[in-house]
Amino acid sequence: MSNRSGWLRGTTVRKGGASSSSNNTRHTTPQVQSTSTTIFGGGVKDPSGRTSEYFSMEDQCPVCKSDRYLNPKLRLLVGSCYHKMCESCIDRLFTLGPAPCPICGKTLRKLAFAPQTFEDLGVEKEVAVRRRVAKDFNKRRDDFVDLRSYNDYLEEVEDITFNLINDIDVPEIEARIARYKVENAALIELNVQREEQYVQQLKYQEELDRSEKEQRAEDLRRLEEEEREEREKGRQEIIDKLETSDKDAAKLVARSRAEALKRASARSTATSNTFMSSNTFMSNSRLLRSRAAQSTIVRDIPHVPLQDNWYAYDDKFVLGNRYNDPISEAVRRDSQGIMRAGGYYVEEAWERALRSSVAGLDTLPLSGIRAVDTITPTEDADIVMAPA
Amino acid sequence: MDAVERENAARQKKWAKDQKIGEGAYAVVYRGREVSTGRQVAIKKIKVGQFKDGLDMSAIREVKYLRELKHQNVIELLDVFSSKTNLNLVLEFLETDLELVIKDRSLVFLPADIKAWIAMTFRGLEFCHRNWILHRDLKPNNLLIAADGQLKLADFGLARDFADPGYKMTCQVITSTAVDIWSVGCIFAELMLRTPYLPGESDMDQLKTTFRALGTPTEEDWPGHTKLPDYVPLEQFQRTPLRDLFTAASAECLNLLAKCLIYDPKRRISAKEALNHPYFFDLPYPSHPSKLPKPAKKETMPLDDMDGNVEMTGSGPGVRAKAPNNKLKRKLSTDEGGPRSIARRLDFTKS
Repeated sequence: MSNRSGWLRGTTVRKGGASSSSNNTRHTTPQVQSTSTTIFGGGVKDPSGRTSEYFSMEDQCPVCKSDRYLNPKLRLLVGSCYHKMCESCIDRLFTLGPAPCPICGKTLRKLAFAPQTFEDLGVEKEVAVRRRVAKDFNKRRDDFVDLRSYNDYLEEVEDITFNLINDIDVPEIEARIARYKVENAALIELNVQREEQYVQQLKYQEELDRSEKEQRAEDLRRLEEEEREEREKGRQEIIDKLETSDKDAAKLVARSRAEALKRASARSTATSNTFMSSNTFMSNSRLLRSRAAQSTIVRDIPHVPLQDNWYAYDDKFVLGNRYNDPISEAVRRDSQGIMRAGGYYVEEAWERALRSSVAGLDTLPLSGIRAVDTITPTEDADIVMAPA
Repeated sequence: MDAVERENAARQKKWAKDQKIGEGAYAVVYRGREVSTGRQVAIKKIKVGQFKDGLDMSAIREVKYLRELKHQNVIELLDVFSSKTNLNLVLEFLETDLELVIKDRSLVFLPADIKAWIAMTFRGLEFCHRNWILHRDLKPNNLLIAADGQLKLADFGLARDFADPGYKMTCQVITSTAVDIWSVGCIFAELMLRTPYLPGESDMDQLKTTFRALGTPTEEDWPGHTKLPDYVPLEQFQRTPLRDLFTAASAECLNLLAKCLIYDPKRRISAKEALNHPYFFDLPYPSHPSKLPKPAKKETMPLDDMDGNVEMTGSGPGVRAKAPNNKLKRKLSTDEGGPRSIARRLDFTKS
C-alpha cells in the first residue's frame, strides 16, 4: 500500500521503484529525486530539489524485516537517534505520540524522522550536527581582535562538534551551547543577518547574469527572425515582379538578389558596430577609472586666469574717444563698416601708441644696459628685448 | 675677423648639434644640447638659397616675434646664429604636440584635461595679443607639449604684429585678434570631438562647411561682411545648435565655445575675457599639467611643427584677402608619407 498519507511534510516521487521491483538483483542504487519541499535531516530543505534521497536495493527495515522484495515501495527514514525504519513501522509506533526507539530506546517523535541523504549514517549525523552547531556558532574573523583568539574559538567549536557527534558528555555540551547562545544572542542575530544579505546579493547577481544571457539570446533570435523574414520577402518580391513586369526574368532576379545582399550586409555592419562601440566603451571606462585613481596623487588647482605678473601701464594713461590721427582717418570714415567687418579697431592702434609711449617712463636713463649684456631674461619679464 | 663674426662664433660654440630629427619645406631640425649644461634643445637650420630674395619670410617672422616673447606658454627661442650660409634657430626642445595627443586613440581625455589645454592655449595667446602679435596659424600641431605637460604656442612663421599706429590699415589684411580666437574655438571643438571640426578641402569648401555647421551669417550676425572684397554669396544654411554635436559638454563649456565661434570679429570673445570665463572656474578644476595624457614615446620625434609649414605653392601669407575662418584649414602633418604617396603610386600604375 502506498504510504503517502500526508504525515510526511514533503512528498517524494520515487522514480523507477515499481519497474525495478522485478529486477531486485540489481546492485546499483537508483537515485530518487527529492522535491524542493522534502525536508532532510536537521530540518534542511533543498530549494533546488537536486539533492537525492539515499536508496538501495538491499534496503530492509530493521524493525519489521520487510525488504524491497516484499514491498517495492519500501522507504526507510532516519530518526533523531540515527536509526532507520520503514514508513509503516513509523506510522505504527509513533502515531499515538512520542515512543521509544525499538533499537536503542531513545524517545522519538514522528515528525523528527527524515529521509536519508548519505549512505553512511555517521556522515548523516555529522552533517546534521555541524549544521546545527554552525547556526549558533557563527562568529567571523572580524569579530575577534586577533587571529589567536579566533583560532581558540574555532577549536572550542570543533570540540563541541566532536563531543556531540560521538555522544560524549552530551548534557554538559548542551548546557554550554545554551550558555553561549544567551551570552552572544545579539552577535548571532547580527551574523545571521549578514549571511542573509550576502545570500541576497549572490542571488541578485545570479539573476542579473541570467537576464543578461537571456537578453543576448533574445537579440540573436530576433536577428535570425528578421533575416528569415527578409529572405521570405525577397522571394515574394521576385515572384511578384516576375508576375507583373514584362522585363527579362533573369535580370529581375539578379537585381533583386543584389539588393537583398546589400541590405543584409548593411544590417550585419550595423550589428557589429553596436558590439564594437560597447567594447570600446568598456575599455574607455576602465582607462578613465585608472586616470581617476591617479588624480589623488597630484592635486588639481583652481584656475588662475593669468599666471605672469603682467603690468599694462593702465594707470599711466586714459584712452580718449577720438584723436587727430590722419593715418586712421580712412578707417574712421569707413561709412559702410568694411574695416569693422574685417575686425580692425582704430582704438587698438591708439592704445598701442599710448602704451608704448608710457612704457619706458619708469626706467632711469642708461640703467640696465649691463644687465642686458650678461643676464639672461628673468622669468617675470614680459617683453624681453633681444641682447644687442 | 670683425666683431659680428666673433660674436657669432662665440654663440655657435655654445650649442652642440646632434642627430637630425626632422626635415620640412624650408628647414632641417636637429636635436641638440647646450654645451655648458647639457640641456636638450632643438636646432632649426633654415635652408638659405632656394629663395630668390634671400631668407624665407617665415624664418624672419619667427625670429622677429619669438625674440620678443617669453612666456610659460610660448616656445622659447634661446639663440640665433649663422653657420656658413645657414641661419640656425635654437629652440626649446618639446616632446610632443597636441595633434599627436588627439590622434592617439589609446588616450582618454577628461573634461578637466581639455579645460587645462584650452586655458594654457588662451594664456599663451593672450600674451601674444598683449604684445601686439597675432599668431594666425593656430592648430593642434602648432601647440607643442613640454615634458612637464605645459602647452606652448609654436611656429610663428605666419605671425604678424597688429595695431601698429604708424601703419595705414586696409581691410585686405587680417588685423584682428579675433582670427586666433576662432582657431582656438576650433581646437577646443576638436579636443572634444577628437576629429577636426569644420574640415575644409579648399577655401570655398571651408566656407561651406563652416556655414553648414554654424549657419550662413546674416548682415545682423556680422555687420558689413557682405561689403568685404571678394565677398561671394553662398547658399543659406540653418545653424545647428552646438548642443546637438557636443552632447556631453557642460553649459558653460558650450557658452565659451559659442563665444569663440561668433562671426562678427567685434563681438567674438577676446583671449583675456575668455580666461575669465566661468567655464574655467567651474568644477572640475583644470588638470594639473603633469597629469595630462601624453602619447607613448616613439623613437622619431614629430617635428612637423618645425617645418614652418610654408606652402611653396601658396601665395605669401597676409597678401591676399582671407576670411578669418580660413585660418582653420588644416595642413595634415602626416600627409607627407601617408595618403599622398599612395595617390602617387596609383598614378604610376595608370600611366
